[in-house]
Amino acid sequence: QVSVINTVDTSHEDMIHDAQMDYYGTRLATCSSDRSVKIFDVRNGGQILIADLRGHEGPVWQVAWAHPMYGNILASCSYDRKVIIWKEENGTWEKTYEYTGHDSSVNSVCWAPHDYGLILACGSSDGAISLLSYTGDGQWEVKKISNAHTIGCNAVSWAPAVVPGSLIEQPSGQKPNYIKRFASGGCDNLVKIWKEEDGQWKEEQKLEAHSDWVRDVAWAPSIGLPTSTIASCSQDGRVFIWTCDDASGNSWSPKLLHKFNDVVWHVSWSITANILAVSGGDNKVTLWKESVDGLWACISDVNKGQGGVSAITEGQQNEQ
Amino acid sequence: MKLKEIDRTAMQAWSPAQQHPIYLATGTSAQQLDATFSTSASLEIFELDLSDPSLDMKSCATFSSSCRYHKLIWGPHSMTSGETVSGVLIAGGENGNVILYDPAKIITGDTEVIIAQKDKHTGPVRALDVNMFQTNLVASGANESEIYIWDLNNFATPMTPGVKTQPLEDISCIAWNRQVQHILASASPSGRATVWDLRKNEPIIKVSDHNNRMHCSGLAWHPDVATQMVLASEDDRLPVIQMWDLRFASSPLRVLESHTRGILAIAWSMVDSELLLSCGKDAKILCSNPNTGEVLYELPTNTQWCFDIQWCPRNPAVLSAASFDGRISVYSIMGGSTDGLRQKQVDQLSSSFGNLDPFGMGQPLPPLQLPQQTGPQCIILPLKKPPKWIRRPVGASFSFGGKLVTFENSKSQQQPGIEQQQQRHHVYLSQVVTEEEFLARSNQLQEAVQSEGFVSYCQKKIDMAPADFEKNVWAFLKVHFEEDSRVKYLDLLGYRKDDLRKKRVKDHTQETEDLGSAKKTFNISVSGDVDGLITQALLTGNFESAVDLCLHDNRMADAIILAIAGGQELLSRTQEKYFAKMQSKITRLITAVVKKNWKEIVQSCDLQNWREALAAVLTYARPDEFAALCDRLGNRLESEGDSLLQTQACLCYICAGNVEKLVACWTKAQDGNSPLSLQDLIEKVVILRKAVQITQDVDPNAVGALLAEKMSQYASLLAAQGSIAAALTFLPVNTNQPNITLLRDRLCRAQGELPVGQEALKAPYERQPMPKGQAGPVVGQMQGPQAPAQQYYQQGDNPPPPGFIMPGAVNSNMPPQQATSSNYSMYSQAGTRPAYPQRPQNGWNDPPALNRAAKKKVPDNFLPPVPITSPIMNPLADPQSQIQQPPAPAAPLGAPSFQPLHLPAGQPVLQSGYPPASQPLGPCVVPPTVSKPSTEGAPGAPIGNAIQHVQALPTEKITKKPIPEEHLILKTTFEALIQRCLLSASDPQTKRKLDDANKRLEFLYDKLREQTLSPTIISGLHNIVKSIEMRNYQEGLNIHTHIVSTSNFSETSAFMPVLKVVLTQANKLGV
Repeated sequence: QVSVINTVDTSHEDMIHDAQMDYYGTRLATCSSDRSVKIFDVRNGGQILIADLRGHEGPVWQVAWAHPMYGNILASCSYDRKVIIWKEENGTWEKTYEYTGHDSSVNSVCWAPHDYGLILACGSSDGAISLLSYTGDGQWEVKKISNAHTIGCNAVSWAPAVVPGSLIEQPSGQKPNYIKRFASGGCDNLVKIWKEEDGQWKEEQKLEAHSDWVRDVAWAPSIGLPTSTIASCSQDGRVFIWTCDDASGNSWSPKLLHKFNDVVWHVSWSITANILAVSGGDNKVTLWKESVDGLWACISDVNKGQGGVSAITEGQQNEQ
Repeated sequence: MKLKEIDRTAMQAWSPAQQHPIYLATGTSAQQLDATFSTSASLEIFELDLSDPSLDMKSCATFSSSCRYHKLIWGPHSMTSGETVSGVLIAGGENGNVILYDPAKIITGDTEVIIAQKDKHTGPVRALDVNMFQTNLVASGANESEIYIWDLNNFATPMTPGVKTQPLEDISCIAWNRQVQHILASASPSGRATVWDLRKNEPIIKVSDHNNRMHCSGLAWHPDVATQMVLASEDDRLPVIQMWDLRFASSPLRVLESHTRGILAIAWSMVDSELLLSCGKDAKILCSNPNTGEVLYELPTNTQWCFDIQWCPRNPAVLSAASFDGRISVYSIMGGSTDGLRQKQVDQLSSSFGNLDPFGMGQPLPPLQLPQQTGPQCIILPLKKPPKWIRRPVGASFSFGGKLVTFENSKSQQQPGIEQQQQRHHVYLSQVVTEEEFLARSNQLQEAVQSEGFVSYCQKKIDMAPADFEKNVWAFLKVHFEEDSRVKYLDLLGYRKDDLRKKRVKDHTQETEDLGSAKKTFNISVSGDVDGLITQALLTGNFESAVDLCLHDNRMADAIILAIAGGQELLSRTQEKYFAKMQSKITRLITAVVKKNWKEIVQSCDLQNWREALAAVLTYARPDEFAALCDRLGNRLESEGDSLLQTQACLCYICAGNVEKLVACWTKAQDGNSPLSLQDLIEKVVILRKAVQITQDVDPNAVGALLAEKMSQYASLLAAQGSIAAALTFLPVNTNQPNITLLRDRLCRAQGELPVGQEALKAPYERQPMPKGQAGPVVGQMQGPQAPAQQYYQQGDNPPPPGFIMPGAVNSNMPPQQATSSNYSMYSQAGTRPAYPQRPQNGWNDPPALNRAAKKKVPDNFLPPVPITSPIMNPLADPQSQIQQPPAPAAPLGAPSFQPLHLPAGQPVLQSGYPPASQPLGPCVVPPTVSKPSTEGAPGAPIGNAIQHVQALPTEKITKKPIPEEHLILKTTFEALIQRCLLSASDPQTKRKLDDANKRLEFLYDKLREQTLSPTIISGLHNIVKSIEMRNYQEGLNIHTHIVSTSNFSETSAFMPVLKVVLTQANKLGV
């Protein structure tokens, strides 16, 4: 079910912390403790280094591609408390903006749905979340949520752009009236949902279930259903799937996907939102799928080194 | 950054790592007196609630203790997981006592909180440590070189690690090794440290600095390296931390000299071995990397000394420090601002001063304006080195096309300095496939489409179908690809012509016998009874009266036979009366058959008889009304029927070839969004579309909204499974739904179809660049956050045909704004295209009356040529329309994008898989010679809403061959005659009759087209035409009678009576 089709030797000199493909799945951005961000062209199984971006003064934790309607734009965040926005101009990548408004490590960056414009959410160990909005002419407007998560925000993830009332499709021609939301997870063991009201970001929900740092949150892409789904993973080894069926977004209920034996670092939804990739729990990657009866089952266990995949047996699952 | 504060002079112990929520226990310190010089003692438990932004820590319980403490630890012994408080609090008291407390009982307020206590030691117990591997083992140290090992399961009798060291001295520190469970170290203020092996029950090594000035206040083992430990010195003359490796015990491995005065306490992070905390009499709290000696962090503190410092085991970024000014502070080493602290002070102020009107002046104090910029000193920077716990070692993220990007960093690499150079840092791209059956079936479908093996595909489906209904559906679909489809449909509905014939054979022979016996002489009675009256009427040629009489007498058969002799008009009137009179079960069917009123059947039959209704329609309905009738029946089934019948409506839609309705009906009947149920639908839809394209010659690209949605869903699914090429072939080609256009673009680019380099990088989206300092329109658009989105959708609402969405070469040279407009203009030019092929209709020489119909039909053959045509959707991509495309150079702006150069590389190849020769184009498609490129359709010509108009046309059967030229004269003459009659006819009834005749003669023309009429009839018709030309209508009527009498009734019944009406009228009107 899972087969390695390309192995990219990044030549990073230290740990890799994130690897993200662009919108089309043709370019790969990686970042590392060696303070660099690299971009590779990986079309047709190739691996051509396009750019080696230097500018951070500490380990780079995450990278995020903006939607291509805005051009080729990549955001990166680092332990050096900076967020850098890189842009390709005439075939070369350059720093286009540097945000230094955080007092501690910036752990997560996530671009808003392209429908809202060019907006970047950044979560930092200083507990704050910044929202950077491009206002044109090289200018960025900053909104900051102070003390969003005491002693640190580890992850931010935007909700898909959905217009209230018509969750499936909005009538064309009308000015869409989006409700902007995103989720964040932090060292206070909480997942929080933030909502923009009258231009101000307000805490809408506080989701409590984890007993240790929330390492990552991932809001599932919209597939036309009225249900919102968020996955969260934690230092405590647990992965929760949060769902909310009502349009007002007030009643979230958690379902435990699995309790791993080790830290779960990262969760990622497939584009069709039906598979969740869980990274961690002893440096493994597992794929999970919800069955018809609403139970989550591990469908495979990705062994990258070998290039092969072994389906998890019943026994192994029980062990976990 | 300071998180919390407790105003206590106390020893502190964090709850074990397993404990959630996190607690901090404090026990009144025996060494330091607080400001009140109170001698009372207490044990308290506080909860660390980080979601509470205030500096206060929530006190959970206080237990008044009889003694003060030198050391307090919280061991995980007998801990249960879960939210309950558990473990054991172990305290070292002033009088040589070791006390075990139950923290759960303290929190619940129980009075019996002591589990056990022993005062075996001499003097205060200053050192305590729990063995990490066997949490029931606790080591304690006190005066006189006393070290005991307590087993919490058997607390009564402690063990010793060996013979007491000499000379006897105080034990100030004790620590279990963190790698080897039977190794213990102890240290004393004299500076000597001893390492014990509990298996051997003796000290194995003694560590001692030669200058003897070490005054050990702290001892800690390396969390990862078994042979290394650090010793801290309290002596102001030697305020150092020594790092020892037992393998080289002659001198310290490293000496950290960051403190300027004696060090009072140290703590080594269990999570990151590069973080060692130390606090000293220089009032500093430092975090150093003992492996390098580098100071990573200096905590901002007040000027007070700290005598105890602890990492929080569960939250690795949190530490607590107890200071001599009677305060325990909880810090985060991750930096952050000190807003919280200041807020607390303000709160305290206002609470001390009462409400905002502290002086009772009737005037509240103005709210305190906190200085927003208090300078850099209020921002507390984090550690210089990122702590290990925030370094993500592994990750997996999905990307477009079901790809998974993964990376991992092997564990060994996380150890400092080991093989870092050799480490390869790989990222893996994997394809994730979860729907194997779905993909396999999709492949089968694509193969069938590519090889055009529809019949065998359908047959396979029939064979494999689990349910009867499914079998049926596929059988119906299969019929579409077979000859003589209507008969086969009947067959499927359970009606066979042959069967009926067989059934009837017997009766038939009987009848002939009867007829034979009737041939005898007969007499003609003219008596007064009914018989007589009829006879009289007959004799006088008064058929009408005769028929009336028969009807009156209920001689239906007679009446009808007579009416036939009396001519068409009489016959139809008689039929009317007959039907009015007869009320048998099948009358309505007969009525419909005779009157050809199938609508009636379809509309009013009992729905349970839908099969029969469909059979009737299949048998009788004319090609042009067939589809509509099937649709109507389907609609009724869907709207009026029960759930079972509703699904059967699908069959009607299949017969009708109505793809859109089939989709709607099927979607309603099927539940769920599972890939396989979508596959079920798409298989049928694709096959039906192929069928409809072959038989009905409709626009192969026309896709309704619902179908488009389903198809794009399907394409998305395929893409998610990595079948991007397949997804492209299924994606509807000419739809203006923005999401589909976007998906197509994404798919194309994901395939890497654009040339590498400049062009490829210019996305079609790139309307919103964010270059530095670019003024003008871009800025304006970016002003509101909504603006870009709007722009984006505008573009999507009127998208160019997909082929134009990536004319990279065109766009790349243009500023974004122009690029947009160029897309529009290209679109306009494409829109003009369908307009000009209408010309060839002039070549048909059709009489004006038919012209309108022809106009309607022709454009369907020439529907918008779409540059990118997928093999699925557009197998009939007319070679004509492509030939017709005007040469590009003449066209301005958008023309280059018509060149195949700009098509994705894969597309032309796919298309050439369908050589024009093999395409089942109807003969009436105008040959290329007729429709040479005409300037009329050149780009730039004014256009209306040509595309929309053409697309809006209903699909209908239009496969009509031209009438052979030698027989065209029949048509022209008859139509001309009817026109003449119409001109001179005065009463509306006649006009209606003539109009009707004009329409019905279409049957004749059809037969002429199909060349199915026998030569005798043809020559007879030509004779009639000659007589018409000579205006000798009587002669014409005679010829007519001759033809009717000599030819097969079934062959001529459709048009000869009509012709007679026309001739009769012409004769009457004398035109």
